Amino acid sequence: MLLNQFLILSAVLFAIGVYGVIARRNGVAVLMSIELILNAVNINLVAFSAMTGTLAGQVFALFVIAIAAAEVGVGLAIVLVIYRNRRSIDLDEVDLMRG
Amino acid sequence: MSFPATASAVLAVGDAVPFRSPALDWHALAPEAVLVATAVVVLLVDLFTAERNKWLASTLSGLGLLGALVPVITLAVDGNTRSLFGGAYVVDDFALVMKALFLVAGYVTILLSTDYIGEGDYWEGEYYLLVVSSVLGMTLMASARDLITIFVALELLSIPAYLLAGWRKRELTGNEAGMKYYLMGVFASAVMLYGMSLVYGGTGTTVLAGIGRQVAGSFGATPVAALGIVFVLVGFGFKVSAVPFHNWAPDTYEGAPTPITAFLSVASKAAGFVAILQLIFVAFYGRDEVYGPMMWVLAALTMTVGNLIALRQTNVVRLFAYSSVAQAGFILAPLAVAGDSPAVADDAIRAVVSYLLIYTAMNLGAFAVILAVSRKTRSGELDSWGGLFEYAPGLTVLMTAFLFALAGIPPLGGWFAKFQVFKAVLGAGGASAYILAVVVAVNSVIALYYYANLARLMWFQSVPDGDRSPVRVPAAINLALALCVAFTVATGFFPGLVGHFGDAATDLVAVALRR
Amino acid sequence: MTLLATVNSDVPFNVAQNVGFGVIAVLMVTGALRVVTTNNVVHAALWLVLVLAGAAAQFILLAAEFVAITQVLVYIGAIVVLFLFGVMLTRAPIRGEAGLTRSNWFGGALVGVLLLGLLSFTLLDTFGGDRLPADTRLTLRPAAVSQAEGTEPTAGSNVGAVSDSIFSRYLIPFEAVSVLLTAALIGAIVLARKE
Repeated sequence: MLLNQFLILSAVLFAIGVYGVIARRNGVAVLMSIELILNAVNINLVAFSAMTGTLAGQVFALFVIAIAAAEVGVGLAIVLVIYRNRRSIDLDEVDLMRG
Repeated sequence: MSFPATASAVLAVGDAVPFRSPALDWHALAPEAVLVATAVVVLLVDLFTAERNKWLASTLSGLGLLGALVPVITLAVDGNTRSLFGGAYVVDDFALVMKALFLVAGYVTILLSTDYIGEGDYWEGEYYLLVVSSVLGMTLMASARDLITIFVALELLSIPAYLLAGWRKRELTGNEAGMKYYLMGVFASAVMLYGMSLVYGGTGTTVLAGIGRQVAGSFGATPVAALGIVFVLVGFGFKVSAVPFHNWAPDTYEGAPTPITAFLSVASKAAGFVAILQLIFVAFYGRDEVYGPMMWVLAALTMTVGNLIALRQTNVVRLFAYSSVAQAGFILAPLAVAGDSPAVADDAIRAVVSYLLIYTAMNLGAFAVILAVSRKTRSGELDSWGGLFEYAPGLTVLMTAFLFALAGIPPLGGWFAKFQVFKAVLGAGGASAYILAVVVAVNSVIALYYYANLARLMWFQSVPDGDRSPVRVPAAINLALALCVAFTVATGFFPGLVGHFGDAATDLVAVALRR
Repeated sequence: MTLLATVNSDVPFNVAQNVGFGVIAVLMVTGALRVVTTNNVVHAALWLVLVLAGAAAQFILLAAEFVAITQVLVYIGAIVVLFLFGVMLTRAPIRGEAGLTRSNWFGGALVGVLLLGLLSFTLLDTFGGDRLPADTRLTLRPAAVSQAEGTEPTAGSNVGAVSDSIFSRYLIPFEAVSVLLTAALIGAIVLARKE
């Protein structure tokens, strides 16, 4: 297998994730797009780990997975509070402060 | 692109030895150990205390942060550079200076929080647990010389900060502060991770020193190296709220609890700079034609945009949000020229570290005054500061001192920070460095305008609602003010004090150049 | 680039692996596109599962089975479930809703396409036709070592090597993650619970 087939797959996921972050206006949907980016990162890390024969990439990927779980937990808590206060998680409405 | 052909041999050696628990240098890890212990104690105490004894959490976490300073000092007296885990975790003078900065900034944050959180019906024990965790992440960041450790330290300092920013959970502005900070922060760290994966892929290592060797070698010339460096630095650009990655800062600063705003604008920003310093000087130093122009553009944009928007703010917290964006621009400026020569690299690191130390004191001091005044006025509008001198002369004098220090007027601390920046930038020479110096100078003048405007309001305007009852300042805020003003004034008259720390911190760049 | 091609030229081109990669990759890209375009958050979460499972399969192709298992357990098992809880608790309509995507989405699409072009160009330029080492070399813990220790041969298994390095070399980040998870858990409960 070529190294680049994994890297290009990861680049596609990364670009799709960035599109999602920019284009989505629902808090949960944006979070999912960020998960796409993190998966792109993990594919990169594991592919490079196989390529260079070092373990650091796999360990890095494990840390990314563990921390992604914490991030999502925190993010959904914040989304939940917003929903409770205003019955909507539309990000374009969450824009009170200006200046 | 070529990879080391010995990779499998390296693994075989690593595997041939059965697992041995690593030899730990407990002295080097003592500050972090004290912080972890503090976090656990605060959590347990909060669990078992009655509502009226919740102040214990604040006191204990404050003591814990001061306690963690003790091993930092003994390590500094000891003076050896300690390198753990194959260079992934280094305790050198740079790390110790920054750890001390984070611990003191954390302590002042707790002093500022004590009355605000105690009176506001917030969740005290959990609040202090998160502050201590975030400070722990920062102290780890100061020693992290490995991509994995940097990433974990970044998340450990950021995730509690996201939660703290949204801590006023019944207020819509509080929700918005948490949401914006969280989404921007998580997106930035994802982009940074993508960059890190590219850097790791090209170099086959996550240790910064090893990356530095490869980046200076053949890998450094590849486009992937350039892309990786840019992505990683963009990720930290969000952390230090550099323009154009600053959108979250004003709303987050306005909606977060004010003590947390102070914490974010100082400690969290300093942690971002620590990571940038480590990455640039240890890992990416050989590619100054990539990060140099990038830092140049970021610095010039950050200063100019931050200052111009600050000019038209009417809310004092937003004013300080944009002012802190602009200050980040000043701190970025020396990094634009850091790759010029080893002497300039030394100057740049000295300038950034001194600036961070002085900026921490003066900005925290300004926020302490804002907190004290808003206890009476209950308003963040600039107009409510009119005639402050008539009923709170002490606070007015202190605020004026902090404002002039931020503007960089001698004899207060800020001038030395600005002077160091100019020295580093001009020391590099060349047209782009001179243009950057002019941008810094012009921006210093713009900044003076809005700082002086706030001072004018306090001294010469009349009180808006005629209420001249004095401001009662709690003891904890008084202590915070005393600490900040003492440091701000002392460094103004004796710049050698902070210069000494700056010199000590240059051992970071010494590591980079030793290879 | 040429150097590596000569190093790896003895590695046979494994057709099955490449076909497997291609099929999974197409599924993943389809899933990812649906995640960011569907008008139903629940569907988006389910499409996300496809992407995550595909990534786990790719990890197995790369001989990183521990990461693959963790991906399934943590990502699909925990994170997607969290997402679904989040969707349910915020009462998103099951039948979907308009306005999940901003009206000016083409700006984002332009950024995505440009980014993809930039990344592909850079990656192809630097890594060109570099081929991954064959599976034998991907075995991170040589069977000989395991036999010497009197255990079953663990050819192809790298769990031991991963855990050894987490608990020695990466001990500090590991401990830091434990503090991080505790803090995140407690903070999230404080924010999310009802008064």
